[in-house]
Amino acid sequence: MMTSWLQDPSLVAAILTTGLPFLSFLLIMAFTRNHRRLSGGIAVAAVTGSVAGALFLLARHWSTGHPIHYSSRWLIAGDLSIPFGFLLDPVSLLMLLLVAGISFLVQVYSFGYMAGDPGFPRYYAFQSLFAWAMMTLSISSSMLQLYVFWELVGLSSYLLIGFWYEKFSATQAGKKAFVMTRLGDAAFFIGLLLVLLYLGDVDIIEMNSPEAAAGMNSGLLTLASLLIFGGIIGKSAQFPLMTWLPDAMEGPTPVSALLHSATMVAAGVYLFARLFPFFSCSADAMTVFLAIGTVSMLLASTMAMVSRDIKRVWAYSTISQLGLMIMGLAAGSLFAGTFHLTTHAGFKALLFLCSGVWVHLFETNDVYEISRRGGRRLKVPMVCLIIAAAALSGLPPFSGFFSKEAVLGALAGLENPLWLAAGLLGVFLTAYYTFRLIFIILFPRKEVSQKEAHPAREDMSAPYWAMGFPLLILAGVTVVLGFLEIPLHEFLSGGTPAFTHRGLAWLPYVSIVLAVLGVAVAWFEFGRHASPQLGFVEKLPGLRELFAQRWYLDHVYRRFVDTVIDGLFSKGCAKNEDKVVNNSIDGFCDFIVSSGHLLSFLQSGKLRYNLIVMFAALALVAFYFLFA
Amino acid sequence: MIVPLGHVFFLAGIVFAMGLVCLVAHRNLIMTLIGVEVMMNAAAIAFVGAALRWKLMEGQVFVLFILAVSAAEISLGLALVVSLYRRTGSIDPDRYDILKW
Repeated sequence: MMTSWLQDPSLVAAILTTGLPFLSFLLIMAFTRNHRRLSGGIAVAAVTGSVAGALFLLARHWSTGHPIHYSSRWLIAGDLSIPFGFLLDPVSLLMLLLVAGISFLVQVYSFGYMAGDPGFPRYYAFQSLFAWAMMTLSISSSMLQLYVFWELVGLSSYLLIGFWYEKFSATQAGKKAFVMTRLGDAAFFIGLLLVLLYLGDVDIIEMNSPEAAAGMNSGLLTLASLLIFGGIIGKSAQFPLMTWLPDAMEGPTPVSALLHSATMVAAGVYLFARLFPFFSCSADAMTVFLAIGTVSMLLASTMAMVSRDIKRVWAYSTISQLGLMIMGLAAGSLFAGTFHLTTHAGFKALLFLCSGVWVHLFETNDVYEISRRGGRRLKVPMVCLIIAAAALSGLPPFSGFFSKEAVLGALAGLENPLWLAAGLLGVFLTAYYTFRLIFIILFPRKEVSQKEAHPAREDMSAPYWAMGFPLLILAGVTVVLGFLEIPLHEFLSGGTPAFTHRGLAWLPYVSIVLAVLGVAVAWFEFGRHASPQLGFVEKLPGLRELFAQRWYLDHVYRRFVDTVIDGLFSKGCAKNEDKVVNNSIDGFCDFIVSSGHLLSFLQSGKLRYNLIVMFAALALVAFYFLFA
Repeated sequence: MIVPLGHVFFLAGIVFAMGLVCLVAHRNLIMTLIGVEVMMNAAAIAFVGAALRWKLMEGQVFVLFILAVSAAEISLGLALVVSLYRRTGSIDPDRYDILKW
């Protein structure tokens, strides 16, 4: 029994890849919580092992198109048996490598970023937990297992967002992230139960097979798809549950990088890719997904146009890019969405890690402040940031250009040209807000001297290799990954080499022109000499307020919670407790007391008479039994 | 067996009646308690006599229990009397008719 599974190297690799970070979490929590370097070392060593395992698996299964499925019974409840297993297919292997790679780079980076933080071992423990949850999620074989790890991802992101728990805003942000994603997760779970009820199985392969669609009628299928999509909306911060993501910037910057690229928010899109054939069965649901992706993309882009906080700009851009991925998937192209997910993971992690260098050094998130204190003098982060920004804007030859082309190509294949127009508008807006930020940092209005900019931070040069090395790797990936489009497509589609651009021939040119236009507008307003450094949106107070307040979404939620939850529901419960429960108990007690009063008329209250009566009665009874 | 069982029961009956009279006739709470004690001792006499008659140890064991119970009862009872006296300034049971009202 033991030897049979030990002989399969893929299974052993899968177990090791996912198990090592969990082991490191346990080790750090149990033994090495007081040893800073040792804890960090354990976590990084574990995640290095995971990267190696993921690489091994990917290399081993590069050519085999069909999925490999391992499963063992985890628990049985009645007729339902819940398996625990691994499903290795191209999408999951790609995701596994992505998660392991980004986790590895972020953990190395954190050696520099978190140096000196009192919670250093705890930080690495949570990072390991996060990596374990996300990696196991990506190769889960059944939806129930996926759901368990889905929740673990939510938990560990809660822990990391609220990592600096002394800060009130951080705990609030962590709570908000947790509660808002839970909202979506509740819908997700109901959807899963619905599928379980009608199909009797939530195995991913089973759900994706054509029989699944035949087993449920179309209305039910749409309902289940929409409910499961609720979980994606929550996790991937799509409209209308998008507002937790900008607040999640309260966590340490490497956490944001991890959260935004490979884990947490990517989990949502990954779930979509995972259940892609299942979702594809319902055309109505796909249209809804497309609409939600589009709305999220455009709303988040507008929010990013006015934000001064560098991390928030990237947060909004994440929402917007996730929207784009969902658009690509909902337009029917599994490859477009997955490819954009992959490239986005690389350049978004790079953006955050670059920004983290400045945030760490200047201890401010404000772009103007970073610019004023000479952010551009840090060569490596600046160059990397520009590369990543170009990728985000979709400028060739960086990876973002290729993946965006794939998504736009998928959108162009739809009948309604509105979706493509929205996508192209998104390209323009993205280029604009990205380069707005770049130009602000590159061309400061009044710069302070180097000494004044970061005094007493000279000792920080030592950990810079830890922060610089991941930047260079990610920048390299960002440059190269785009050219791997064709092999990736072959891999994802299971070895069919026929690859043709489904989009129109003029599409790449249009999108390049739009992106360049966005950059040009940004240059005009922020870059050129004597420019006001004030965007066209910021000149319109109403619009600016609307965007800065995130379309008043939070206000609406606040109002909703205040009036409906607090005002109606809580007050109703309080009233019920006060009036119904309390009063009924009080009434019952009053009844007992008054009936006692009533009974007290039967006796005199004089002890001796009572006793005489009692004994007389006893005597009479005794006489009766004696003589009768 | 020198004393016949009937005599023992007769004695117990007399003691019990004396205790009863003491219990109901006195307008003093302490005397009431003493009446209760006397009645319990009457029961104890009956138990000892019966044990002697049938040569069983249970009757004597029971007497030991009665002694223990009466000791506990008298200590609690006296404590209650003291407390009642402090509360009302009297130990006349006829004045403790507060439960009636």
